[in-house]
Amino acid sequence: MKTKNKSMIVIFLAPAIFLYTMVFLYPTIRTVIMSFFKVEGVTDAVSAWKFNGLGNFRTLFHTPLFMSALQNISLIWLVGGVGVMLVSLLFGVILTSGVHGKSFFRSVIYLPNVISAVAMGTMWINYVYNPNFGLLSSILKTLGFSEAAATQWTGPEMVFWSMLVAYCFGMVGYHMLIWMSGIERIPVDFYEAATIEGANVFQRFSKITLPLLKGVCRTNIVLWTVSTMAFFVWSQLFSPVNLSASTVTPMSYMYELVFGASNSAITVRDSGAGAAIGVILTIVVVIVFLFTQLIVRHDDVEL
Amino acid sequence: MKKKLCSLMAIVLICAMALGGCGGAAQSSAPAASGEAPAGDAKSDVTVTYYSMWNETEPQGQTIAEAAEAFKEKTGITVDINWQGRDIRKTLQPALDAGQEVDLFDEDLERVNGTWGKYLLNVEDLAAKSYDTTDGKPLTDVINKKLVDLARSLGPDGKLSTIPYQPSTFLVMYNKDIFKTAGITAVPKTWEEWLDACAKIKAAGKTPITVDDAYMASLFGYHMARLIGKDKTLAMVENKKIDDPAVQTFGEQWKEMYDKGYISKNAAGNIYPAGQQEVASGDVAMYLNGTWLPNEIKNSAPADFNWGTFAYPAVGKDGDGPEANQYGAQCFGINKDSKHAEEAFQFIVFMTTGEWDNKLAAESIGVPMANDATWPTQLADAKAVLDATTTRYPWAVGMENDADINAKIKTNFALLVSGKLDAKGFADAMKK
Repeated sequence: MKTKNKSMIVIFLAPAIFLYTMVFLYPTIRTVIMSFFKVEGVTDAVSAWKFNGLGNFRTLFHTPLFMSALQNISLIWLVGGVGVMLVSLLFGVILTSGVHGKSFFRSVIYLPNVISAVAMGTMWINYVYNPNFGLLSSILKTLGFSEAAATQWTGPEMVFWSMLVAYCFGMVGYHMLIWMSGIERIPVDFYEAATIEGANVFQRFSKITLPLLKGVCRTNIVLWTVSTMAFFVWSQLFSPVNLSASTVTPMSYMYELVFGASNSAITVRDSGAGAAIGVILTIVVVIVFLFTQLIVRHDDVEL
Repeated sequence: MKKKLCSLMAIVLICAMALGGCGGAAQSSAPAASGEAPAGDAKSDVTVTYYSMWNETEPQGQTIAEAAEAFKEKTGITVDINWQGRDIRKTLQPALDAGQEVDLFDEDLERVNGTWGKYLLNVEDLAAKSYDTTDGKPLTDVINKKLVDLARSLGPDGKLSTIPYQPSTFLVMYNKDIFKTAGITAVPKTWEEWLDACAKIKAAGKTPITVDDAYMASLFGYHMARLIGKDKTLAMVENKKIDDPAVQTFGEQWKEMYDKGYISKNAAGNIYPAGQQEVASGDVAMYLNGTWLPNEIKNSAPADFNWGTFAYPAVGKDGDGPEANQYGAQCFGINKDSKHAEEAFQFIVFMTTGEWDNKLAAESIGVPMANDATWPTQLADAKAVLDATTTRYPWAVGMENDADINAKIKTNFALLVSGKLDAKGFADAMKK
């Protein structure tokens, strides 16, 4: 019986392990090694690689555009993260409080996740931020704020915040669903008992809901971090042809370095530096993950 | 024991299948020695694999697809087209490195020769032959000499390795009707004439010029080269220091354009293609862009849009004049490992001469390659500019070669034309 199990384990695990090694482990190790070499094209033969030590990392940290990318991604993570978490938690709490039309509102708020980011981006750029006929401009004009209506929402001073609002708009529904699943797991008895004891809605939220959502909070932060680090499409949409300091993110800069993706006929390709960006992003995600483990401890009440 | 053997065999089988899948594309093919074209005549029962930079739905893609069918009918040679679109920048090199069968590919002339030069077959010999659509002459004698010379100068070792098609020139594209309404009788050749034309356009109730984020670096590069010349402009990019005193002059001149209301009030926030759409709507008269513009905005511009083109005017006495312009083309390149180089070249000739050269130009409102071809009416003026061009600028006069410089121009130019920076502030910000 024992032997039989072992062979079955081997048979079922071998393909998975083999594929995992081929499509995940091998590229990961290759990328880490590549980050220490000077490599032009991503498919260049290893014989063409030149050892560069920490040179790629040094170059990156001396490149203004990469530093802008790090600054942008930090702001997206922090400001966008706080905004999305608060708004999605608010929606989550409202929708689980017995409000009518829960399914409808949940679907409506989640809808932007179903629509392609490219379509969403086009909508925001052309129909919300357009200074001639966009939604913002029209509303501000109607309200009589003609100076504010003339704001260049996609100009260099505002484009980062415009992009962030558009991105966060789409992310609220996703995190709201996670909050809702956490809130719905809290037994109704807790609230009933608290209500009988005279707790008001804010007390119920801060003393019951919030403490019992620690695990969900951790999940949300890690998922937000992972999706933020992969911030790419919105960056491309708000600066479609070549990079801008206001919208560049590490992923879009990596794309430029690895594929020479800009409009220019001659672009410097540097896959080694691109790999180094990948390594930096991985380290950031791991650090944030460890950090959230530290601040949001595993002391959840068993429900 | 038997079960163990079965398990082992199953694992080996799965591994073999997976490896087969991974390695299937890596076919070995003997590289042609020193990249020379193989001898021998074209065969008719072969398939040429072509990685195209177009999408099937673009006018160029549609025309090339039709041409491939006509080519098969005429020669029996099948051209199997892989529509890569602009993703070819990501997909071609891995495909070539993996040894996939790619006989023919295309992209921008500078990119193909610069980035993929080591994969190119030297086509000097093939181009020296005559073909049935070249009227008994070598191909290089019947197609645009300026572009052939350019392809040769950019090619590996200065040899012809690519054949250009769809030539383009970068110049001021303008709305002739607005010029006529404003009473402008001749296109501006100097900065004074330019300002005078802008004043007339403004008085006629239209906006003289616009730009969007994608072309700000080109505008800056062109204007700087007109102020201090091509070499000094390129040297700034080379040294990664945009610090010439003329940068402030640029700031003063474009601040004046902003102050007088000559540049679109949306220019600072225009995300491509918002700027060119302003031209299509008939609100803006001029746009510094390539000869591809009429094709790009044909769906939003009126069918009878009256296109005109002229070279960017002379700005300062130390800089270049209208005889200096950027021009280039798309181009076809043949894989040096191709087993069907002759057949692939036949298709290149088919596309760059005669009926299909004309059809490609007409369908894409582009410039034809053959010397005797007629340019589309929208670009009739551009031919004169290209013919008179004696100095060639590289793309954006180098300003897009460095992503940091490009990003800096985009931010600071936008701040300049929205009144947030003055000329000195602009020059200082560009120096940082």
